[in-house]
Amino acid sequence: MKKAIIYVTTYCPYCHMAKEYLIKKGVVLEEKNVETDLKARDEMIQKSGQMGVPVLDIEGKIIVGFSQEEIEKALEE
Amino acid sequence: MYDSIIIGSSAAGLSAAIYLKRRGINFLLLGKDIGGEMAIAGEVDNYPGISHTNGLELTEKFKEQAKQYEIEPKAINVTEITKINGGFVVSGTNTENHAFEEKTKSIIIASGSKPKKLKIPGEKEYYHKGISYCSVCDGPIFKGKPVAIIGGGNSALESGLMMAELCPKVFVLTKNAEMKGDEILIKELAKKENVEIIKMAFTQEIFGEEFTKGLKYLNQNTNEIKEILVDGVFVHIGMSPNTDFVPDNWNIKNKIGEIITDKLGKTDIPGIFAAGDCSDIIYKQIAIAVGQGTIASLSAISYLNSLEK
Repeated sequence: MKKAIIYVTTYCPYCHMAKEYLIKKGVVLEEKNVETDLKARDEMIQKSGQMGVPVLDIEGKIIVGFSQEEIEKALEE
Repeated sequence: MYDSIIIGSSAAGLSAAIYLKRRGINFLLLGKDIGGEMAIAGEVDNYPGISHTNGLELTEKFKEQAKQYEIEPKAINVTEITKINGGFVVSGTNTENHAFEEKTKSIIIASGSKPKKLKIPGEKEYYHKGISYCSVCDGPIFKGKPVAIIGGGNSALESGLMMAELCPKVFVLTKNAEMKGDEILIKELAKKENVEIIKMAFTQEIFGEEFTKGLKYLNQNTNEIKEILVDGVFVHIGMSPNTDFVPDNWNIKNKIGEIITDKLGKTDIPGIFAAGDCSDIIYKQIAIAVGQGTIASLSAISYLNSLEK
């Protein structure tokens, strides 16, 4: 079973879509809200080199934004 | 062959789908997810029947209703529509990039719109490195930092109000002499002490190092180039329709790409209907998109009935 960290903000719809999709795929998910957790915000910026959400860290593979295609690829690896 | 294919699964597409489903029409709903631009609308206080909500919550309610009708959008990126004998072909790709192709007697185009770009130096370079087109999504990341909002309408006003709660200083730049939009929002924004509205301001460049550091704008009154230092820039200068897949030689698009419809959601091509933000309706509102989706679906049903006679 794959593990992932998802960096989100509270009302970001793409974050919710990405989260739902990963849960549907059976991924074990750790959620970090960069709105309230400043350490997580810095971690996300450091990992992805940018400041947009959602950011997905699927076992080291970093995905910016919600892209089903990229998630599928990362899950296959 | 399907009776109808709806392209787009936000407010307009979903309301059309509900009406088609209730009439037992054999149809497909194509879209990445239910929501589209509605989902990132921020605060929504003008949707009749719901006093106070936000784009995300409203999208959830739309999803619940879709589920109730067993309506499931197919995640397809539509790239082309073509005419064939007795109908049309809708082509595109699915999320695994596999080709998609289906035949249909009618199409309801409800593909919505996407944010317009400034097309200035630095915009591409600093996208997601300080520049965002979604305040609801990325705004909270800039908590405690100075930001600028570019735009003069409701989206810019809403973004300004949201960011004023999070940031020590918010600049709102509009190229117009006054902010345009709902009076209630204009008054609310004017009350915020940490918000500075800069009028007649034409943004020229966004600059920075690894991330955005600020922007330059032309003050149209004095003809001076000015600079402000901000960590975030939120662009809300309007929308452009998602209609690239509609052939130009069908002559159903206006100069800015919106689908030209009559009051029944019909285009000049029998069997092609349009609704919502991708249409040439002047006012882009969730409530209007819902109504237009309803009209377009009823017109499509009437068209399908006429084919059977």
